[in-house]
This record gives sequence, C-alpha cells and structure tokens, in this order.
Amino acid sequence: MRYGMVIDLKRCIGCHGCQIACKAENGTRPGTLWARVLEQELGTFPNVRRFSLPLLCQHCRLAPCVEVCPTGATQKRADGIVTIDSDKCVGCRYCLMVCAYGSRHYQAEPWTYFPGNGVNPYEAMAYASHPTGVVEKCDLCLSRVERGLQPACVVACPAKARTFGDLHDRHSDVTRLIDERGAFRLREDTGACPSIFYLPP
Amino acid sequence: MIQPKGGFSQPEDTWVASACGMCSSQCAILVHRLNGVVSMIEGNPGSPLGMGRLCPGGPAGIQLLYDPYRVNHPLKRTNPEKGIGADPRWQEISWDEALSIISEKLRKVRAEDPRKLFLCGTPVSPSALAFALGVFMPAFGSSSGFICDDGHRGMAQGITAVRLHASSATNPDVTHCDYLLIFGCEAGPADYYGFTTMAQKMADARVRGMKVVAVAPYMGLAAGKADEWLPIRPGSESALACAYLNLLLNEYGLYDAEYIRRHTDGPYLVGPDGHYARDQVSGKPLVWDAADGKAKPFDEGAGDVAIDGTYAVDGRECKPVLQLLREQASRWTPEAASEVTTVPPETIRRVAREFGEAARIGSTIVIEGQELPHRPAAAIYFGGAYGHDNAWLTSLAIELLNQVVGASDMPGGLLGCDPLSYGHPQTEMPRWAPQVDDDGLLLPNEPHNWRGLGGWPVTTCLLPLTAAVRDRSSCDYQPEVLINCGSNLLMGLADPEVGFEAFKDCFVISFNLFSDETAEALADIVLPDACYLERLDPLPDWLGHGLSAGMGDWCYHIRQPAVEPLYERRHSCEVLLEIGQRVGFSDKMNASANLLYGLKPPHALNPEGEYSWEQMTDSVCKGWFGPEHGLEWFKENGVLTWPKRLDEAYWKPFSRARMPLYHEWAPRFGEQIRQVAEESGIGDIDVSDFLPLPDWRPCRAFQPQPAYDLQAIHYQAPWHIFPHAHQNPWLEEVCRSEPYSYFICMNSRTASDKGISDGDPIWVESVEGRRLKGRARLLEAIHPQVVAVVGNGGHWAGGLPLAKDRGVLFNSLLTFDLKHIDLVSLAIDGDARVKVYRA
Repeated sequence: MRYGMVIDLKRCIGCHGCQIACKAENGTRPGTLWARVLEQELGTFPNVRRFSLPLLCQHCRLAPCVEVCPTGATQKRADGIVTIDSDKCVGCRYCLMVCAYGSRHYQAEPWTYFPGNGVNPYEAMAYASHPTGVVEKCDLCLSRVERGLQPACVVACPAKARTFGDLHDRHSDVTRLIDERGAFRLREDTGACPSIFYLPP
Repeated sequence: MIQPKGGFSQPEDTWVASACGMCSSQCAILVHRLNGVVSMIEGNPGSPLGMGRLCPGGPAGIQLLYDPYRVNHPLKRTNPEKGIGADPRWQEISWDEALSIISEKLRKVRAEDPRKLFLCGTPVSPSALAFALGVFMPAFGSSSGFICDDGHRGMAQGITAVRLHASSATNPDVTHCDYLLIFGCEAGPADYYGFTTMAQKMADARVRGMKVVAVAPYMGLAAGKADEWLPIRPGSESALACAYLNLLLNEYGLYDAEYIRRHTDGPYLVGPDGHYARDQVSGKPLVWDAADGKAKPFDEGAGDVAIDGTYAVDGRECKPVLQLLREQASRWTPEAASEVTTVPPETIRRVAREFGEAARIGSTIVIEGQELPHRPAAAIYFGGAYGHDNAWLTSLAIELLNQVVGASDMPGGLLGCDPLSYGHPQTEMPRWAPQVDDDGLLLPNEPHNWRGLGGWPVTTCLLPLTAAVRDRSSCDYQPEVLINCGSNLLMGLADPEVGFEAFKDCFVISFNLFSDETAEALADIVLPDACYLERLDPLPDWLGHGLSAGMGDWCYHIRQPAVEPLYERRHSCEVLLEIGQRVGFSDKMNASANLLYGLKPPHALNPEGEYSWEQMTDSVCKGWFGPEHGLEWFKENGVLTWPKRLDEAYWKPFSRARMPLYHEWAPRFGEQIRQVAEESGIGDIDVSDFLPLPDWRPCRAFQPQPAYDLQAIHYQAPWHIFPHAHQNPWLEEVCRSEPYSYFICMNSRTASDKGISDGDPIWVESVEGRRLKGRARLLEAIHPQVVAVVGNGGHWAGGLPLAKDRGVLFNSLLTFDLKHIDLVSLAIDGDARVKVYRA
C-alpha cells in the first residue's frame, strides 16, 4: 500500500479550487497553503502558452524531511503518507530547507483572517489543530482517508484533474493513468521519489 | 468574536443538502455542520448541477457566513448627505422600526402612483430575484424592476438563445463535440453557464481530443487551456465570424443545405424592401420552388426549394435569405477581416475550414437507438465577445456559424439549455415546448422570457440610465423609492456617478450582506440579508442557466438553511412578504405567486390567506412535484432528478419550427425606437446596428483616437465571479498568490515602448477623461493593443475592509450613456479607448 495522487494537467484549469477546498477542510491559518497553484506563461506573443501547476506535499518515498527531522516529528506511515506530529515538532525548520517543493510551512504567529476581530466560529473550531511555532503541511487529508473518503482537493476539483489511490495496486486508477498517459514527477533529480504524479498538459 | 445564535450543547455532526449561492450557477452542495458550526461545503454528487464538484467559490462560502463585517442589524442613515464615498453614519434600529418606516413610505407611493417604486435585483440569487420581480413588484403595481450584475454586458446572447434555441441560455454539446470555437468566453474554467458542470464536461472532452480554438484579446484561463489562441482586437469579433461565414458559404461550400432548407428561413424570399415576400392570399412567407419554377408559401414548397439565386415574384426581384447572407458575408474576405481583427488571413482560412470540416455535414449518430444528425462543431460566445455596443451583430454572426453548418441544437453542436420539458413524470410540471408561429418560425415561449420575468428588457442597464436623464416634463412619474435586493449597482454597471444620480433623490431601502458602496452612497435603510447558507429558497436555479444542455438528468433543488440566520439577519423574501402584509397587498402577492409559480388548486395560494415563506415554498414544491414532494421531502433529499428524454435534449430533429437566419424584426424595431426617441425629444440616436443579417460595425472604443492607442478590457477569473470576492479572505488570498489579479496586464513590448516596467505604477486614462491607477504586469499572453484588468475590484466602502483598495474598478472607466449602449441588446460598451502612462 502506497497512497499517491495523479494530477492531470490537461484537465487542470488553474482555478485554485483545490487551494480553497484544502482551506475549508483543514482550516489552515492565513498565508499557509497546503495546496496551491503556480502560474507560468511560456513563449512570446502571439505564440504563447499558459500553464498552471497545482502543488502539494509530494509525500516522497525517500522523503528527506523524514531523515533530517531531529525529533522524529515527521514520519512516513506504512501507507506512504508523510505526517508531522506537532507535539514533537520543535520548529527547527530543517525540513523546510530540504524540501525541494516548498511544501512545508512554519506557523510563526497565530494569524487570523479578520485581524482585530478575534476568530469567527469556523476559525475557533479550525485553529485548535494549528498551533504556532511548528511546521505543518498537507497530510493527504489523513482523517478523511481513514474514514474511507478521498482528500478534499480530489473531490472538489471541478475539472476532475486529481485521482487518488494506491500506487502499489496495479489495477488502480492511479497506476492506469500513470501507465497510459506518460506521467512524470516534479524534480526527479532530487531522488526523493515523490508519490504525486503529473500527466502532461 | 461572533457567537452563533442558540447554544449547541449536544455534539452534532450533520450534512445538509442545499444549493450554492456564490454565483448564479447555483450548484448543488452538501454542507457539513459540526456542533452548530459550518465546517465544510462539498458538491452534491446526487445532482447533475455541479455533478458533485465545486469551484473555488463553493467552500469559500464559509467565510461569507462568518465574516465579522456582515450587516447584522437593520441600519438607518443618520447622515442626510448622500454621496459616493460618504459616511452614512449608520445607526442600528429595530426590525419593527425599520419596517414601520418602510411601510409608511410604500403606502404613500402605492396610493399616489405605484410605478414610482423601483426595484433592483441580482442574478446571483435567481430565486429571490424571481420573487422580488415576479411576485412583489406586480402585486405592488410597478413594472420598474431591473437586474444589475457585475459588469453589465447586456442580453445579446439571451436574444439569440430565445430566437434560435428556444431557451434562455446555450451550452455546447461537449459530450459529442470535436471542435469548439470560443469567442470571448471562459467556458471550462470560469464565467459561463453552469461553471462546475461545464468544467468537468470540458475536461472530459479535452482528454477525448476535442480541439478548442479560443478567440480573445487576453489569454485568460480558457484560452490558456485551448489548443490555439487567436488574439483579437476587442469588439472586432463579428468581422472574424463574418469572414468565417463568407468562407464556409462562398469559398469552401461547407454548409448544411438540407438543414438550412428544413430548419431555417434560408429559403424564404426577401423583397427589395427588406421584408419577406408574402403570399397575397395567405400572407405566408414565400419560397421559390425550383421544380415548378414559381413561388409558393413556405409550407407548400416541395423538397427542391431554392436557397440561392434571384427570382421575380409579383414583379419584384426577390432573393432567398441564404443568398442575402452569402452576399452580406462576401464583403468580409479574410484580408478585410484581418485588417480589423489583426488575425492573419491564412489563420482565418485554416480555422474556417477546420470548423466546417469538423461539423461532418451529412453524418449521423445513434443516441438511445435513434439516428440523429451529428454536427460535432460549435461556436460559443459570452460577454467578452458581445460586451460591446455592437453586441447584437456580434452575437448574430457567431450564432449563424452554428446555423450554416447545421450544428444548432443538433448532437455535437450548440444547444439551448432547456428548450423542451415534459416535466416530472408524475405531475408533468414544469412543462414547455418550442412553438411555431404563422410564418413557420420558432415562437418565443416559456422558458424564454426568463421564466415569467419579462425577458431581456428586465435585464437592462436602461432603467437606471433613463432614471438619471429622465426629462421631468415628458414623463408623468419619477422614481421615488428604490428597493435594492442585494445588488451593488454603483459598481456593477459602469460610471458609478450615473447610478448615483439616478437614485440619489429616492428613498432607498437596501437588502445587504455588507455595507457596500451602493448602500453607503444611497441607502436610507439597510436590512441585514441572510446569506445563502442561512436561508430557504424554492427552485434556486430559477433561470435554468446552471443546468447543462444535452442528455442527462433534469434536477430541481431546494436551498435550505445550514444554520439559522445569525444575529438579526432575515431573508429578503420573508421581509418582502411581511412588507406586503403591513402595506396591505398580501392578497395580490398571493395571486402573483400563483401566476409566477404556476400554482393550481389544491396547491394554489388563497389570496385572502397569510402565508409564511416556508408555507409558500412548500406550496411551490407540492405544486410542481406533487404532495409527496413537499418542503419536508426536499429538506430531507435536497434534489429531485429524473432522466431527460432524447427529444428534450435534442428537440430540433423532431420539430417543425424554423430558426430565423434573417431577423426581419430588427430594422422595424430600430425604426420604432428612433421614432420614440424623436417624439420624446431624446434626439438623434444611432439605430444603424438594427440589421437583419450580421455585419461588423466598430464599437465606440474601437475607433482610434490620437494619443489614445489602446483598448482597456476586463476579463473573468474563477475566483472573481462572485460579488464581494475581494472581501472573502480565502478568495482574496488567491488573488495575492496569483500573478495577475491585482495588476493591470499589458503586453511586454507595448509597455517597453512606453518606458513601463513590470510592477510600475501606471495610469489608464480614457478618451472621456476617466482614469484609474494600478501597477503594471507585463506579459506576452495579451494583444499588444490591449490592457486588461480582472473582475471588478477597487472597493471603497468602509463596510468592506478586506476588499477596500484591492485591485481596480474597471467599470469606472466606462462611459454610461446612450451612445455607448447597444440599443438592440442593451449592452454597455465594455471596453474603453485609453492611453497608459507611468504614474
């Protein structure tokens, strides 16, 4: 069992729906984006292309963040999901430095979305699981996955660009798409062996 | 900190089936509530409307519900000075005091002349809009209602949808389409009918191999996803479409003659006076029967009717409509069109050929065991193309591309969203079908008129404009009270001054989520509206715009509160009902509701009865879907679905109705308007766009002016199509994490010629002297003669602190007068002739 995701860039429309679905599901604080989208244009007028690249923690098989964590806060589960135990994290941020994908976020201050107004009922509920002074990141919606659900970004995506499943299951949708559509991974050169695959635009 | 009303001592974990209200698509949602707090919003997979998915706005609704800057109590203006940017000095008052003041005003107006009540609504709440315009206003006795959306681009597409598709909206049949030509439209990634449904179907089609060619001045997300982008000068789209028509009809012979003969007025003969030649006895339009060599009424012609040539009928030289279209289009050679559009002639030729060949004229497809014509090519368009003062001609030209290749309302082509409905199997409600008039043409019918709301004049910018310039001596009533149901009309039209001038002398009652620009400038009383997560609405997708065309399921939803309204917020419909009771016309409201919702005994409302909003909603549910599908059923289930029949999705092969290629009414209509303008002293107005066949006329901003070398446009992005998007902290965060939202986009080379670098502060100044300031973002993906701004930012209201000063208000560049309006469709010219310089 190794959970992973395939993101089809031919489907992705760059709408940032994943970013907001992640916000709503995980209730992260301002400035912390477990899911985000990069934009780029290539070429010169009129021969131009635009690309959107959705990013999240790549849940690498050989995750350097796991190796460098001095307290064992970052762990790789048997199902491939890389997690952070905020009780063990001391906020040293070594993991931020070794992550090639910028997928980790250090929560320095208890920022809220309506400064000067305290927290609203949703924030009051959500921020209980976002302490400050620690590093956090996408956990592939572990609490949903444990209930047999798919990650929030996967079910929300209005272009159905994301497929979640077991990379070790040869009959799963993720392995089929990887085989059929010439999947690639970001920064293969790092040797970290991410579990997030992309299909060409 | 906001405290939810009521104490939730019991642990609670509930999902509520409802409808999104962040834009007019009204997708089906499931709202997760934990201990009384909304914790998550997901799409409802049980509904074809949204098909279980959500755009970025969907989950962001949580932050709308709990925004601490929402209006929570009725407010009274204490600063008598009204004005743009004025501080109204709100004072909280009780609901009873607010409704007493309002009832007194309305009682007086109703006794004097009810037409003095004006009402403005927003299409973001179609159900509440229908109630306000279709129940409250008729019962009060006024027809002075209008709709204001975010960036008014008129209703050109509505007119063509009604006239050519028997519907109020159109959708490409992307399930069967192989070649999609997009003009100024964000179908797939953003602003189009049924956003999330379309996004999924378009993604499926791209993977299947559908080719997409996007025509747009700025490469938005749709053009970015297209296989090919054709950068074009804003407002020149009809020149390009006319060139395609010319090539298809006159050079390549890629047109569907059988379709044109059978399903259009292509064979109808037109006389030198511009009208159909008619049979002297029956009055029916004539066609030329080539076999018999004589003219016959259209319904007596044999198979061999002429669609080209010139014929003498009753001593007059007459030509079939298609012949006229050929001649009209022939002046638009690729070279002539290229000069206007800047699209290279060879590209115009290639794309025209690709489109015509992709339509596979003559081919058929078997769907549900029935053989139907298969025309897998469609040309679609939206506000980016028709948002100019040549809107009618642009829409007609693009629309006719679908007609000449026979792809209109055929599998694979451009479909009306819901032209034919047999209704729910048990109740046969709602039921409508395309009709045929005496001339054999499609007869506009339900749901064409925006489901009883009176069609496109309602959706017009004209009312505020005429209210502003109304000559008090020539009109026997003036606006005295304005009820604003949630629209931000000062920002949503054009030049905010015009909207302000129109209503500054009125008593203004405003239902608001926030104390926005319109409320602060104009409102005397602000009423705290319940947002979509706090309220009940029957038939939230009232306009039927969200439902995707083609095969699939019909669906009808309920919107129900995920939480009870916080603080003293109340749903505008509930309040309007109470106003009717207080003022004393609830009997008429009940009667109007029976008419609008088509309620018949035993579910019709008793005019003498007093109904709550819940009871009224229950009657609508039962009236449409039977006693077993009342409000309780909908609260439990959220959505009622049943499969579309083949001829509901593809009605045309089964219908006798012909679509007009030739719009005989247009010149006549133009002449009537000119006469009215002359008689009422408005003076010289230009009606030269009232043409029966497409052509290109420059929009106002198209014409070059010395020193003003650019056209400014605005474009749509998926995180921006919501009112108050900048006030939503999650959507606002997208704007900041995205490279374009807070910038004025311009082509790198154009900027470099002006000495402008990326990030420089710049002024964009229009010929009319309006200007806005922002920072430049240099890019390649934009036409060199264009600057582009996303959505409408630039809020200034104190009640929107997160949105304040974010982005720029593009609409403030637009001049708002009769000369800048397409008088056929009532679109404001959505671009401005500008110069750009460093600030």
